[in-house]
Amino acid sequence: MNVYAPILVLLALGAAFAIFSVTLTSFTGPKRYNRAKRDAYECGIDPTPQPVGGGHFPVKYYLTAMLFIVFDIEIVFLYPWAVAFDKLALFGLIEMLIFIGTVLVVYAYVWRRRGLEWE
Amino acid sequence: MTSSMLNLPTSIPWLTILGVVPLVGSVVVLLLPRARETMAKQVALAFSLVTLVLTVVLALGFDAASSAPFQFAEKYEWIASLGISYSVGVDGIGLVLIALATILVPIVMLSGWNDVAPGTTGRGTVKGYFALMLALETCMVGVFAATDVFLFYVFFEVMLIPTFFLIGRFGGAQRAYASVKFLIYSLVGGLLMLAALIGLYVVSADVLGQGTFDFMQLVGIDIDPGTEKLLFLGFFIAFAIKAPLWPFHTWLPDAAREATPATAVLLIGVLDKVGTFGMIRYLLPIFPSASQWFAPLVIAMAVIGIIYGALVALGQSDMKRLFAYSSMSHFGFIALGIFVFTSQGMSGSVFYMIAHGLATAALFIVGGYLMSRRGGSSLISDYGGVAKVAPILGGFFMFAALSALALPALAPFVGEFLVLLGTFERYIVIAVIATIGIVLSAAYALRLYQKTMTGPVAPGIDGMKDLGGREFTSLFPVFALTLVLGVIPGIALNVINPAVDRTLTTVGLTDPQPVLTGTEGGQP
Amino acid sequence: MSGVLSASVVADTFTLPTIDYGALAPVLIVAAAAVIGVLVEAFAPRGARRPLQLVLVFGSLIAAFVAVVMHAGIRQLDGGGAVAIDGPGLVLQGAVLLISIVGAMLMAERMVDPAGDAFAARASTLPGSEDERQFSSRGFLQTEIWPLMLFAVTGMLLFPIANDLLLLFVALEVMSLPLYLLVGMARRRRLLSQEAALKYFILGSFSSAFFLFGSALLYGYSGSIKFGKIAEAIAGNPGQNMLILVGVGMVAVGLLFKIGAAPFHQWTPDVYQGAPTPVTAFMAAAVKVAAFGAILRVFYVIFGGLRWDWQPMLWVIAILTMLIGAIVAVTQTDVKRMLAYSSIAQAGFILLGVIAANPAGLRGAIFYLVAYAFTTLGTFAVVTLVRDSTGEATHLSKWAGLAKTSPLTATVFAIFLLSLAGIPLTSGFIGKFAVFTAAIEAGAMPLVIVALFASLIAAFVYGRVIVLMFFADPPADPPAVVVPSAFTTLAIAISVAVTVVLGIIPQPFLTLLEQAGVFIR
Repeated sequence: MNVYAPILVLLALGAAFAIFSVTLTSFTGPKRYNRAKRDAYECGIDPTPQPVGGGHFPVKYYLTAMLFIVFDIEIVFLYPWAVAFDKLALFGLIEMLIFIGTVLVVYAYVWRRRGLEWE
Repeated sequence: MTSSMLNLPTSIPWLTILGVVPLVGSVVVLLLPRARETMAKQVALAFSLVTLVLTVVLALGFDAASSAPFQFAEKYEWIASLGISYSVGVDGIGLVLIALATILVPIVMLSGWNDVAPGTTGRGTVKGYFALMLALETCMVGVFAATDVFLFYVFFEVMLIPTFFLIGRFGGAQRAYASVKFLIYSLVGGLLMLAALIGLYVVSADVLGQGTFDFMQLVGIDIDPGTEKLLFLGFFIAFAIKAPLWPFHTWLPDAAREATPATAVLLIGVLDKVGTFGMIRYLLPIFPSASQWFAPLVIAMAVIGIIYGALVALGQSDMKRLFAYSSMSHFGFIALGIFVFTSQGMSGSVFYMIAHGLATAALFIVGGYLMSRRGGSSLISDYGGVAKVAPILGGFFMFAALSALALPALAPFVGEFLVLLGTFERYIVIAVIATIGIVLSAAYALRLYQKTMTGPVAPGIDGMKDLGGREFTSLFPVFALTLVLGVIPGIALNVINPAVDRTLTTVGLTDPQPVLTGTEGGQP
Repeated sequence: MSGVLSASVVADTFTLPTIDYGALAPVLIVAAAAVIGVLVEAFAPRGARRPLQLVLVFGSLIAAFVAVVMHAGIRQLDGGGAVAIDGPGLVLQGAVLLISIVGAMLMAERMVDPAGDAFAARASTLPGSEDERQFSSRGFLQTEIWPLMLFAVTGMLLFPIANDLLLLFVALEVMSLPLYLLVGMARRRRLLSQEAALKYFILGSFSSAFFLFGSALLYGYSGSIKFGKIAEAIAGNPGQNMLILVGVGMVAVGLLFKIGAAPFHQWTPDVYQGAPTPVTAFMAAAVKVAAFGAILRVFYVIFGGLRWDWQPMLWVIAILTMLIGAIVAVTQTDVKRMLAYSSIAQAGFILLGVIAANPAGLRGAIFYLVAYAFTTLGTFAVVTLVRDSTGEATHLSKWAGLAKTSPLTATVFAIFLLSLAGIPLTSGFIGKFAVFTAAIEAGAMPLVIVALFASLIAAFVYGRVIVLMFFADPPADPPAVVVPSAFTTLAIAISVAVTVVLGIIPQPFLTLLEQAGVFIR
């Protein structure tokens, strides 16, 4: 069990820091509200209408998020390859190229389908 | 040196041909254009007659004195992985039942020639009706000819489908209900039999090292007594539903009432015989000790059926239901004859199966003619004095009623007599009770005749047409056969007896010694 | 510091996996075709997409099938033990491919719906919106269904040969995700379809989570994700252990969800009803084969030693599945929902082959799966043909008297129903027979009795439909049976042929299954 102890300690430390800093700012920070600040935070653009009263949440947000995740995961898979690069040798290189190629296909699809254009 | 009248080459697969001919006919009829109705009927009749001729050839080539258990035997691998083969062959019992089926099919086709005129009954087409009849004939030949238990089961189940459609598509107002009831009852039996069949296979795999469904290998295998009883029950209930024995009979009156007369004849006359045939062919030889263990129960059911069926028939106001209950009573006799384990009893049962098939045909066909002349009503109270208006019809009705009550010199008498004789050898009391059934059958048959045929002419009967040429032609063979078999039963019994003796030998029972030894009435 | 340490440990013990690309060719071919399909979607002009996709789909599926046949003799562990290419695996792969080919034929049908195919012209438009109307009237076709389908097939091909938990999970997801999408793409009754997709997705994700958690527990118990290693760990430690039992249970939940076994069956009727009918046919057939393949492998290879622990659980599940499926089917008035419940009941029957846990059970289950799959494809194919002005006429009352208006269709449907009911001379009967025999050999007589009882109820359900079609009068506004193109006609013809041929001469396929042998470890 003590193999995992450092992880637990790290977890506790991380949680503690998050709670501590959030709590601290609510005491120390100045509070000056205006309309823009009370709105939902949407990357600084005009907030979209709510599903209940107005229209629908544009699917673009999800698209962007998904694209981000795709490339994010790609990087995640590159890490172990980088670690064992020499052992994997040519085999690893080819496999990785195929992998990146596959992700590239997705990229091409999104690009051709105008998924990268905002409007 | 054989004692058959005709020496048939053994290289020809006779039974397969016999089964395939009606099937081909069925397909041919289906392919005819829908508008050519008369042609469909003629083609169907022609195929059934060809089948009949083949059966006669087969019967002439059958060697009653042969020591081989099955003749015209064929065997081919079918599903080797599961020990299943396509193997067919007939003994005397199978042969006479196949003959019964192939004789009745053309007769009912002729009798039901106009039963499916468009718009009169049901939803089906004329060609569909005749195609189904032929398909059913294939199944009937198959089920009596199979010598592989699995093959038997396949025909046993597949037979349901044409029958289901025959009842459900061509019949009375409640036909859908009746057909579903028939289907459910039959499936219950079929599934129980399936369970027992698989159980038998697993047992055979244990005993023989390799699972098999081959009848000859299954006979005499050593089964644990508890398992044997369970397997017996699985098969028995299926057969008892099919036959039908009391208390599994409740589907029969509905089916008989809603089906067309032709379907009813095939259903009660032939299909139900599969149940009693199965008891002789499969239950007794494969599960001999369980058969003896359960015999008292079966005999009790049979006797209750005899009396109950007759009493209920006596109280019926509907002719078709009366016929059905009377059949149920007669099925009691057949089952009784099988389970008293005497050669007379069993021979009598087999003979009675044939005789009853003919008697049923007579009743339903002549009854059908009568009812079709009165707008299809089957209420007894709608009729009266018919014999005065239509004497030939009345005469045949009389004949049918007499054959139902087993008048001496008619075929059913021989069957009933032999069954009672066989029963008497072992259980006097039972024989006496069963005799009451005969008295009752006389009562309901004569009452039916008296109410419908004699007395004042009922309204609506006036001017009723007598039987025409086609109708006469369809009834006459039944009449003739019933009479011939009643006077010289030996022609059938000679074929039946060796098979019955073989079965009893397999079960390990011999007839009790004559009265002197004083063993009558005792448990063997 | 610890991170560096573990990385170097990994690097020291790392052995390069050997991959026999030839043996994996079926999976690779289909996956490559799917990727190319995406490129077609990206670069080909709109009009050329459908023909190109059809060539890709049928070409790759047939090529993959040829590859499976060519590798028929291979029995090996591959990819460092991550996949097991063995007899049952190859048979299941072949079955999945053939089913997919027939399923693709149904999806390619364009004649039965006057508006186009069975799929929404553009799935992203709002149901009932002006956009939807426009795309529909301009005759747009959704061609993304083809790559999605091929991805699903890729997952299905991996599913029965996956030999470690991680790959099994990847296969599960690769199979499921495209299906979630396909379910939501119906052209008609789109809200129902989208609701079905969402339900399937949420419940499916939930079951995936179960599966993952179970896998983690098994890993925690044995220190490996490889089936063989886990089996060894179980064999080497015969005592009961909570970790392994809970792990088995959770992995089982994840897999049983996919086959729609009770009590994890709730999604089945909604999804089968809501999905475009060709997709329902494809799913009902192919997913069941793939998922049962995985279940069979997992229970034979990993959990074989724990038989006495999981058999009671599977007994209960099989009984529930058979009875719930059959009994609830009695009350259904929609033909698709009725078939959905019947498929639940059928899954229960196939579970008997899993429970038997002997080679006969394995063979029986695979036979039953193939028989069931083709019959199911056929039934849903017929469902696509019976239509009125609003689309498919799925309410059972509309099917009354169908034999009068369209005897051939009614007869074909009746053949399928008889097969599902297990009447002799149809494939369904031989399947039931084989499975029940195996179960009785394994001493599961009570279970077979229950199965027979459930068969009886199910037979009543099917019999009722036959009665309705053949013995009842047509409704006032009877649906029309449309004449489909060669695609659907061929699909139905193949289904009928397989149903009847496997029922009458099953020996060649049984021989093939015997040659296939059992799973390797």
